[in-house]
Amino acid sequence: MFWQKDIELMDKEQLRNTQLDCINKEIKIAKRSEFYKKKLSNIDKISSLDDVKNLPFTTKEDLRNSFPYGFLATDLQNVIRLHSSSGTTGNPTVVFHTAFDISNWANLSARCMYTAGARNNDIFQNTMGYGLFTGGIGFHYGAERLGMLTIPVGPGNSKRQIWFMQNFKTSVIHILPSYALRLFQTVEEMHVDVKRDLNLRIAFIGAEPHSEEMRKKIEELYNIKAFNSYGLSEISGPGVAFECECQSGLHIWEDYVYPEIIDKDTLEVLPDGCEGELVLTTLQREAMPLIRYRTRDLTKIISEPCACGRTHRRIARITARTDDMMIINGVNIFPIQIEKTIMSIPEAGRNYIIEIFENNFMDKLCIKLEIDNENFGGTLRDLEKLQNRLECELKQEIGVTPVIKFVDAGSLPVSDGKAKRVFDLRNKNK
Amino acid sequence: MAYHLSVFLENNPGKLERITKILSDNSINLRAMSLASSGEFGVMKLLVDNPEKAFEVLKQNKLTVIKRQITAVVVDNVPGSFNRLLNKLSQNNINIEDCYGFLLSDGKTAAIIMEIDNTPNASQLLSDIGFDVLTAEKIYKY
Ligand SMILES: [Zn+2]
Repeated sequence: MFWQKDIELMDKEQLRNTQLDCINKEIKIAKRSEFYKKKLSNIDKISSLDDVKNLPFTTKEDLRNSFPYGFLATDLQNVIRLHSSSGTTGNPTVVFHTAFDISNWANLSARCMYTAGARNNDIFQNTMGYGLFTGGIGFHYGAERLGMLTIPVGPGNSKRQIWFMQNFKTSVIHILPSYALRLFQTVEEMHVDVKRDLNLRIAFIGAEPHSEEMRKKIEELYNIKAFNSYGLSEISGPGVAFECECQSGLHIWEDYVYPEIIDKDTLEVLPDGCEGELVLTTLQREAMPLIRYRTRDLTKIISEPCACGRTHRRIARITARTDDMMIINGVNIFPIQIEKTIMSIPEAGRNYIIEIFENNFMDKLCIKLEIDNENFGGTLRDLEKLQNRLECELKQEIGVTPVIKFVDAGSLPVSDGKAKRVFDLRNKNK
Repeated sequence: MAYHLSVFLENNPGKLERITKILSDNSINLRAMSLASSGEFGVMKLLVDNPEKAFEVLKQNKLTVIKRQITAVVVDNVPGSFNRLLNKLSQNNINIEDCYGFLLSDGKTAAIIMEIDNTPNASQLLSDIGFDVLTAEKIYKY
């Protein structure tokens, strides 16, 4: 049942004591870096977890501004790997790892996958991108640590993905939720019957915020259980929080990170149960500890005990990244609200994009949906009905009436990596 | 059981031509069609001599297409005959989802193609009340 029983079931009091010790250790290591030497110049240790709230925040901007080595807290000879964001605008964020960090991360990923039910006799197909992106390589190491037969296919080439799934009887898959939906089109085109021809039982879905409706859709299409995975490259990558078999919130591994929720405007710490921005302090990182890192992910901490028995608290499904917020005629909207609504209407199809443009000094929200053989009923009347329903339900969810456009199957842009769904075409020079 | 094809279309230039070209490249004869449009998108119904093949080739060309069952009757090419048909249909509570017609080669009669959703045994009913219901073979080749 447990990968590390003593840690996963650790008594709350003991867990908190461990966290305090670890934070003090992390402060000490962090202060070897250029950034924290200044930032923490007058802090050496804290005497209780209540003092964490007095420590300064670290932001993504700080990481960018300290490019390339400002956060490195150990000698280069101890560093064995770096991961980095693509950095198309400005400096990328770079994250360093020692051998201990990599090993620890592998163990944590293995714990996540074990928690969701994966075992060493499973066949694991990893469709996440390898390379600088942490999604693929992070779980690759974890899967090998767990002892699964690991197939490092990487992203894209849907036919080959299905070919591997059929021939090697893949039972566990790691996949972007948007790609899981898109891959299913190929499953259908190849006339593959998921029950007869495939042996899938578990999917790990993550790296993109997604709705419960989307999870359900993936579970239905493939006849599997899909588990929500949370992580961020600044901390290490996937594996920071993960769903257990109860599928109600993600256990955030409190021996690895110390979580807080803050109000994103006042920056005050909020009690468990309140929604806000997740802030994480690393507890075991050697090469690059982070103190109170603002993740920009919105969620809440669930402190009620979980039926699985693990004592580590849970976080709710990430509802949004603060960066993703769209402001349309003064109304705040998150893309996940739109996704949730679309996924809850079975005839609405799976592939869509959101466009925002300006018309007569007003913002217009346009949602383009592909009509494919799955959702096409064959009459204009059905399409018009669907159009009205989408308009009404979206208006209810987001408070703005969108324009719904139906487009040909396959006409919307696709990407191998994270799905790009929002296209803001407003003139930003004004 | 006869059917025609229903194709989803975004309304943009060249779209119809793309479809007719696929049919022509595959030697499929387009016997009749109708187009219902709602400004930015529409639905095209295609009656062809080989619906099975047409369905496959359109799908291969990534078009969104499904098959829909049709019922076809022959009416005389004289004033009032279509009205007589509609009259009988409404008397029997048969609802037409979509319909179009074309003149048959004798010039004296026309085929009326109907999508009937609410009455599974519409063909039988129509032939019982005296209409000449066309078989699939005849709809495709007549
Ligand atoms: Zn649990």
